[in-house]
Amino acid sequence: MRRLQPRLAVWGTVTLLALVFVFLGAGMDVEYVIPRRLTRLGAMVIGGVCIAWSSITFQTLTGNRILTPAIMGYEAVYLLLQALLVLLLGTSSVVLLGIHGNFLLSVVVMLVYSWGIHRWLFRDGNSNVYTLLLVGLVLTLVIGTFTQFVQLKVSPGEFSVLQSFSLASFNRVQPPQLLYGALVVAAVALVGRKSLATLDVLSLGRDQAISLGVDYRHSVRLHLALIAALVAVSTSLLGPTAFMGIFVANSTYALARTFRHRVTLALGSAVAIGLFIAAQLLVEHVFNYTTTVGILINLLCGGYFLVLMVRTRGAP
Amino acid sequence: MITVHNLHKAYGSKTVLRGVDARFAGQRLTSLIGPNGAGKTTLLMMIARLMQPCAGTVCLEGRTVAGIPVGEYARRVATLRQSPDFNLRLTVQELVAFGRFPYSRGALTREDHQVIDEAIAFLSLQPLRHAYLDELSGGQRQMAFLAMTIAQQTDYLLLDEPLNNLDIKHAVQIMRALRRLCDEHGRTVVLVVHDINFAASYSDHIVAMKAGAVQCAGSVDEVITEAQLGELYGLDFDISQGPRGRLCNYFNP
Repeated sequence: MRRLQPRLAVWGTVTLLALVFVFLGAGMDVEYVIPRRLTRLGAMVIGGVCIAWSSITFQTLTGNRILTPAIMGYEAVYLLLQALLVLLLGTSSVVLLGIHGNFLLSVVVMLVYSWGIHRWLFRDGNSNVYTLLLVGLVLTLVIGTFTQFVQLKVSPGEFSVLQSFSLASFNRVQPPQLLYGALVVAAVALVGRKSLATLDVLSLGRDQAISLGVDYRHSVRLHLALIAALVAVSTSLLGPTAFMGIFVANSTYALARTFRHRVTLALGSAVAIGLFIAAQLLVEHVFNYTTTVGILINLLCGGYFLVLMVRTRGAP
Repeated sequence: MITVHNLHKAYGSKTVLRGVDARFAGQRLTSLIGPNGAGKTTLLMMIARLMQPCAGTVCLEGRTVAGIPVGEYARRVATLRQSPDFNLRLTVQELVAFGRFPYSRGALTREDHQVIDEAIAFLSLQPLRHAYLDELSGGQRQMAFLAMTIAQQTDYLLLDEPLNNLDIKHAVQIMRALRRLCDEHGRTVVLVVHDINFAASYSDHIVAMKAGAVQCAGSVDEVITEAQLGELYGLDFDISQGPRGRLCNYFNP
């Protein structure tokens, strides 16, 4: 029973936070305040599951605890797309595409991007994850430079629209997007559920996994595809989250004290959701909207990332 | 029996294996010896299907291994690489349980638990059963990994330098365990080993490699001779026959 306690505590805290978030100062206004808050809560749940799942499986595939799928350039592609839309269509792009149009376009563009690089990298039987990382990193830098170039071309007003896309926020989310997001997450969970044990074996590394009868190339491609779908959903829904995956994954490992993905994926989702709700509560009730969730989360997770780097270096 | 035929491997212009032919007899312990860069590990990794040859074939009991599904191969051949380091926090028992993955795909049955118990008992690891891997010494960790490989219940075991970085006591323990696997359980063991005296004392057969090709292969008596080893390593060997077996001395010219 002792092993169950941290998990129960995390889930308990998340439930409590969710209740506080929905009802604090709402005055039981079921017409407007509570439905709006439930929408944001839904976004946090879907975003949290996406971030936890994608980061933890990505770290398992790469055997590295300070990476997130962001290194593959998904978020860079998203930002470039937003910059290009603003450049080509102006601020009217927001109106022209509609908020759903933008969401769906972003998902499709990120999926096409990841499909392209996976296909290109795995074309001749090569299954080296490190090549993939290196190419992803270089592409992230290149795409980031393009985005900066585009940003220089747009007017200050358009730039501020662009700026709002580059930080995570729950305020853009609309109920239909939640539905699409939930459908994708459900599909991923359905496919991924069968291979949780395979993921455990993959954490032993490529050679040991093959030796234990895992079709390594197939499994890596499958999970990278699932990660791409999850990142596409969370980024289109909330915007880039950068360091958050590292924080979520590592605190999950510390809490779960097991390598089994059956446990870590669920617990990680709880940690991510809890973090989102806590940040949103702070923004709404402590900072009175003078700061954003994205900034708070980047501050916390970026700080944690630094601590992690320093501590890892200090270790013998 | 594992046979390899005309195996080639090259990275760009650097040739690692040039037409290797070898046979590894069933239910025997075969050591691969030779200087660094001779291609021993490359050969072993190709038999394990962790690397693809540029040309040539590997056959397991007459069947080319490329045609065997990876899941089935894991029930025939188990591979242990040099003590892999990873930052997973898991116990000896959890590691050994991974050996059952080829059979149960993660959902352990009663039979699986029994096999895990037997593998742990075989290497006398019961006291360390619930210890975490990162708290063990290098020798104990290597024993734990070997237990996982044993729990895989394959007819063939491939080991890449299992004695690397071990003290002499753990090295003897590992070699004795491999010998018993071969004699008592009829398993076929192929290992890469650098210590000539260990190879000479525990092997049935020895395959000596140099510069990407097999220099000589055969029984211990045929390969462990002053002339053969001298040519293999470019060192002056003195082989003496003591009451407890052969001893190769190459330390001083």
